[in-house]
Amino acid sequence: MSQVMGVQPVLQRSYRMMLMPAVLAVLIFAVLPLLGMFVLAFTSFDLVKGWDTGFTLKNFVKLTDDKRFIASIWVMLSLSVFGVIAQVAAGTAIAVGLEKIIPRWRFLRGIFVVPFVVPHVAVALVWLSLFTPTLSPINAFFDLFGITVPALLTTRWGAISAIVIADTWASFPFVMLLILAALQGISSDLDEAASIDGASKIQVFWRITLPLLKPALLMVALFRFIETIKHFPLIYVMTNGGPGRATQATNYYAFIQTFQNSKVSYGASIAVFLFIFAAAISFWVARMNARISDA
Amino acid sequence: MKTQYARRLATAAMVSVTTLVPAYAADVDVLLFGMPYTKGLAALEADFEAETGLTANIEVVGQNVFENRITLSFTGKTGDIDVVHTPVIQVQRWVEAGWLQPVTDGVAGMNDKDDILAGPLDAYLVNGDYWALPFFAETGMMSYRKDVLEAAGFDAPPATWEEVLAFAKAAKSDDMAGFAMRAAPGQGFNMFVFPMIMRGYGGKFFADYPTDLTPAINSPETLEALNLYIELINEYGPAGGGNFNFSEIAAASQAGHLAMFVDGTSIVAQSLDPAKSQVLEHMAIAPVPAGPAGRSPTIAVHGLGVPADAPNPEASFKFIEWATSPETLTKIAIANAYPDFTRASVAADAEVLAKYEAINPDFLDLRVQMLNDAIGHYRPLLPQWPEIGASVGEHINAALNGLETPEEALEAAEAEMIEIMAE
Amino acid sequence: MRKPKGKHDFSWKQAAGVTMMLALLFFALLPIIWSFILALRPENRLFEPIWESPTALTLGNIRNLAGTGFPHALFNSFVTATVSTILAVIIGVPGGFALAKGRSSRKFVASWALLLLRMAPPVGFVIPLFILYLNVGLLDTWVGLIGAYMVLTLPLVVWSSWTSLSQIPDELIEAALLDGATMAQALRRVVIPAARPGLVATAVLAFLLTWNDFFFALVITRSDTVTAPVAIMNFVSYASVDWGSIAIASILLTLPTVPVIVFANKYIVQSMGGAVKG
Repeated sequence: MSQVMGVQPVLQRSYRMMLMPAVLAVLIFAVLPLLGMFVLAFTSFDLVKGWDTGFTLKNFVKLTDDKRFIASIWVMLSLSVFGVIAQVAAGTAIAVGLEKIIPRWRFLRGIFVVPFVVPHVAVALVWLSLFTPTLSPINAFFDLFGITVPALLTTRWGAISAIVIADTWASFPFVMLLILAALQGISSDLDEAASIDGASKIQVFWRITLPLLKPALLMVALFRFIETIKHFPLIYVMTNGGPGRATQATNYYAFIQTFQNSKVSYGASIAVFLFIFAAAISFWVARMNARISDA
Repeated sequence: MKTQYARRLATAAMVSVTTLVPAYAADVDVLLFGMPYTKGLAALEADFEAETGLTANIEVVGQNVFENRITLSFTGKTGDIDVVHTPVIQVQRWVEAGWLQPVTDGVAGMNDKDDILAGPLDAYLVNGDYWALPFFAETGMMSYRKDVLEAAGFDAPPATWEEVLAFAKAAKSDDMAGFAMRAAPGQGFNMFVFPMIMRGYGGKFFADYPTDLTPAINSPETLEALNLYIELINEYGPAGGGNFNFSEIAAASQAGHLAMFVDGTSIVAQSLDPAKSQVLEHMAIAPVPAGPAGRSPTIAVHGLGVPADAPNPEASFKFIEWATSPETLTKIAIANAYPDFTRASVAADAEVLAKYEAINPDFLDLRVQMLNDAIGHYRPLLPQWPEIGASVGEHINAALNGLETPEEALEAAEAEMIEIMAE
Repeated sequence: MRKPKGKHDFSWKQAAGVTMMLALLFFALLPIIWSFILALRPENRLFEPIWESPTALTLGNIRNLAGTGFPHALFNSFVTATVSTILAVIIGVPGGFALAKGRSSRKFVASWALLLLRMAPPVGFVIPLFILYLNVGLLDTWVGLIGAYMVLTLPLVVWSSWTSLSQIPDELIEAALLDGATMAQALRRVVIPAARPGLVATAVLAFLLTWNDFFFALVITRSDTVTAPVAIMNFVSYASVDWGSIAIASILLTLPTVPVIVFANKYIVQSMGGAVKG
C-alpha cells in the first residue's frame, strides 16, 4: 500500500473530520428523535389526556396481550414476503428478458424504469381506481365477454394481493436495475462455453446464470424487505386497513394508535418493536454485505 | 474565494431565516376539510375582507390530512389556526382534551341566533357551553330509480327495510345493482349509515345513553340488522360493494347502474346533479326506511370552532359569525351542491328554493322531515366515540366481507367497546 | 460479446419469452396509460368504458388544477427535494469516502447503523421530531422538512457512496496528495470524477426518496410548505373524489422525474454493479 506511510496519520485525521458533518446531522435529525421514541414508549403520553412522564412498562405489557398487534405482524409478514417474491420475480424476469432473451428490446429499459419514479401516493390512487370495479377498465373489458372480475378489495387475500400488486408495480424497476447490473458483471464467456458444450439456453440460465445471481438476488430481496415493512401510503390510500382489519400491518397499526386513538406512547412502543425487528434484520444484511465485500 | 463563499453562506442563511418565520399573514387562519360548503366558503374569502376589514386565509385539505394535522396542532398548541372545522362527533373529545375555547359569549351576543336550527346548535352544547356554530347538518335519505321501481311492479318506494330487500331483489340484474350503502370501515363511513338499520331494528350502542354507558351492541336486534345489511349489500349490491364508500355509490348511481341507495343528503344530492347524472329523469327520493322500532335517519353536524390557543378569539368569532350568516350560507347554497345549511332563513330564500326545487320539488321538505326524525346521539356523543366508531366499523366491515361471522363481529365489537370505555 | 441477431431460428421458447415480456410490458404500462385516460375524461364519463366514447376527452381537469394550491405544493416538493439531495451529497459523500478509505475497526457497526436508520419506522420518531420542531420553531418550514429528509437521504448517500468510493484505488488518492493537493482538492479533482456514475446514481436515488415522501410531510408541514404527495390527498373530499385532478396531479408529480431516471438508469446499473460484485 504505501510509499506514503508518512501521510497516513494526517490522512486518518482528515477522514475523521470528513465523517463529522454526517455524524452530526444523523445525531440531530435521526438519533435524537429515535431517543425520543424510546422515551415515549416508556412513559404514558396520550394526546387527549396529556403526558405522564413517569417510567412505565405498561405499554409493553399491553403489547404482549394485544390481539390486533399480533395479527398486524402476520399482515406485515404476508405483505413483505409475497411482495418481495413478486417484485424479485418480475424484476428478474424483465432483466433476464432484456439482457438474455430479447436483447433487441434493450431500449425498453427506459420505459420499464418509469414506475420507479411514481410517488407511492400516486401509485396507490391509480391502482385504487384500477381495483374499483365500477371505475376500472379491467372490469369493463372482461364484462364484454361476460366475465366478472372479482372485487379484490373486499376479501382478506384479495386486499393483500392488491397491495402486493401495486407495490410490485412500483418496485420491480429497482430489482430489475440491480439484477441487470449483476448480469452485466457475469462474464458472457461462461454462457458461450456452456452453449458450446451443448447446453440449451434454458439450461444455461438455470445451471449457470441463476446460481451466479444468487448473492445479488439475496441482497435485493433484503433491501426490498426493509422497504416493505415500512409500507404506509399504499395501505392508507388503497384499503385504509380493510376489509375489517385485514391489511393493518404493524407500521400502520402504530399509526392508528398514535394518530386516530391519540395513544402516542402505545404507538411508540409498537415502533420500538419494529425498531428492534429492523435492528435484527439489518444486522444480518450488514454481516452478509461484509462477507460479500470481503469475498 | 473565501469571501465569495461567505457571501453565499450569508444568502443561504437569509433565505432560511425568511422561511423560518411562518407566513401567518392573514388575520384569521382557517383550517377546513373538503366538502361542498368548505370549498364554497374558500371562494368567498374576499367577501369576508370586504365586510370586516380583516383578511382570512381559508385552507381546505383532505379529511385524512386534516385529522392528522389538527390533532398535532392542538397538542402542540401551535397557535397557527384561528378557526377550525369542528365535527360534532369530535367535539366531546376535543373539549375533554381542552383543545377548544367556548364561543358561548359570542353566541349570546348574536341577534339572529334563533334562525340557527336548534338541533345542530345544541349538539355543540357541552358542559353548559357552546363550542362551535354549525354550518352543516346532514341527514339521511333514499335515492331510487322510478323507472326500475315501476318495471319491478311496485307502486311506491320501499318504506321499510323489509321492503327495501324486496325491491333490491326485484331490481337486481346484470348491469343494475339493487342496493348500495357505505361499506368501507370508518366511524364516518359505514358507521355513518349502518346505525340507520341498527336503530330501526331497535339495536343500540349503549344500554341507556347517556345514563348507563354499558356497551350493548351485541344484541339480537343489532344482529338482525347486521344480517339484513350484509344480505342487501352482498346479494343485491354492486360488484365490490363490500368496499364501497360514498363516492363509489354516487358514481354508480350517476352512471345509471344502481336502483336505490340510502346515504347522506349531500350524496343523494350528487345523484340528482344534472351535470353528473346520466339518468336524471328517472331519479326520485324517499324517506329513510323504517324498521320494527321506527325510523332513525342518520345525522352529521359540522361547525366552526376556535382552538384553545387561538391568539385572537374576537377575530375568530367574527369570522365564524360571517361564515355561518344567512347571507354566506345562501350564497354557498346557490353556488354549490349544499342543501345541508343550518339556518331556517336560507330555505326561505327564493333563489335557493328555486334551485333545489328544480332538482327535486320535495328535496328541502324531506330534508327537514328527516332532520326532525333524527336523534342527536345517533352516533353517541362521547369523547371515546372516534375510537369506538373506528373499532366497531372495522368489525361490521369484517362481517360484511366474511372475515368474521356477524355473531363474532358483534361479540368482538362489544368486547372492544368495554375495553375502550374502561380506559 | 453477444451473439449476432438471427443466429438462432425462431423457436417456441423464444415465443414464450416474447409473450412473457409483452405481458410484463403491459403490466408496467397499464397504470400509466390509465392515468392519462383518467386525466382527460370529463367527470360525467369517468364511469363509462373508454371504448364506448373514446372521443369524450377534456382539458378541463388541467384548468381546474391550476386554480388549486397544487402548483405551489409542487414547487415546495421541488425545493425541498433538491436542497435536501444537494445537502445530503455534500455532507454524506465525504462521510462515505472516509468510511471507504479510512481505517476503522468500527466499520461494521457503521454499516449496521446506516442500514438500521434506513429501516427504522418513521411512525416512531416522527412525533418526537414534531415535538422538537415545535420547540425550535421549525414546523412548516423548508428548513425543518429538509432536516427531516436528512433522515431519509443521509444513510442512503453515505452507504452507497461508501460502496462506490471503495472501488477507487488508494494509489490514485495518494498520488494526488503527494502532488501537494489538499484533501478537499483530491476529492474534487480525483475521487469524485472517478466515481461519477456511482455518485450520480446516489443523488438520483436520494432525490426520489424525498420527492416520494408522504409521511414526514404529512406530519411536519402545514399550508406554506406542504408538498405535492400530501396535496394530492386534498382531491379526496367529502361528497366526491376528484379522479381527474388526482390523475393530472399524479402525472405532473411524476413527469419531472421521468427524464432523470431515463437518463440516470445506466449509472444506477453501473453503480449497483459495484454494490453487487463488491
